[in-house]
Amino acid sequence: MSGSVVAKLPKPQLKGLLAASIKFHLPIAIFVSIASGIAFKFLVCEPRKQRYAEFYKNYDIDKEFERMKQAGVFQSVRPD
Amino acid sequence: MSTWANLSFQNSASPIMEQLIFFHDHAMMILTMVVMMVLYLMWTLMENKQINRNLLEGNTIEIVWTITPAIILLFIAIPSLRLLYLIDEISNPFITLKTIGHQWYWSYEYTDFNKIEFDSYMIPSNESQANNLRLLNVDNHTVLPSNVYIRVMVTAADVLHSWAMPSLGIKVDGTPGRLNQTSTMINRVGLFFGQCSEICGTNHSFMPITVESVTIMSFLN
Repeated sequence: MSGSVVAKLPKPQLKGLLAASIKFHLPIAIFVSIASGIAFKFLVCEPRKQRYAEFYKNYDIDKEFERMKQAGVFQSVRPD
Repeated sequence: MSTWANLSFQNSASPIMEQLIFFHDHAMMILTMVVMMVLYLMWTLMENKQINRNLLEGNTIEIVWTITPAIILLFIAIPSLRLLYLIDEISNPFITLKTIGHQWYWSYEYTDFNKIEFDSYMIPSNESQANNLRLLNVDNHTVLPSNVYIRVMVTAADVLHSWAMPSLGIKVDGTPGRLNQTSTMINRVGLFFGQCSEICGTNHSFMPITVESVTIMSFLN
């Protein structure tokens, strides 16, 4: 055979493949889960709470009642 | 009331319904987290180069995927129980409304001040005006004051009925021979609609409820 040096490939991993795969993918899965939870909270939950707080902060019940009364919505009070 | 293509809850008109909506958002957030994690894991199941067909068990991961769902369920159960007990809190009601379900209409009694009783029938579609809401309008609205605690006692005269108001977060069964009680407070003025929610015969779908929430001064007058 020729006298040149033959480079050897590194020995591949033969055992513990599933454990290694889980160790790689599980943190990514947990990160995806937490990121989606945080996204849902700040895109859906918090805006809804803000909308309700804003609505009731400036809600004038007497003004709304008068407006609906004049529109003829109620049976118990008729428009002026 | 719901308009077409409405998939979510109606806007709340009581503090309890507000809390129910926020709890639903919380549960949906946890659901989203679980589903996203499962979707990612399903994708990794498809896109991998594992070739071992002889795996049978893995003690550690089996313990992890038993304990983790239990912890997740705790995060759902604790707010749920808080809300459950909040709904059942005893308040000092300003007024009591007695609701009796019949086939196929509701009758109401206000007995605190004057003795007022009336029946509430659905307005049939062929008699309703153009501005009426089909299958939701009634001839006599149930007038209630806003921003005060109201006790509602529900029963039935013949078969099972259920007094439901989605925007107030109320659904109380009316059982013949039994009085069921709930308490509510209406945050805003306006008309709120509900429908009978327990099958009671041919016209079960045609005995709606219309609550007219007015200011307390108007109610007392």
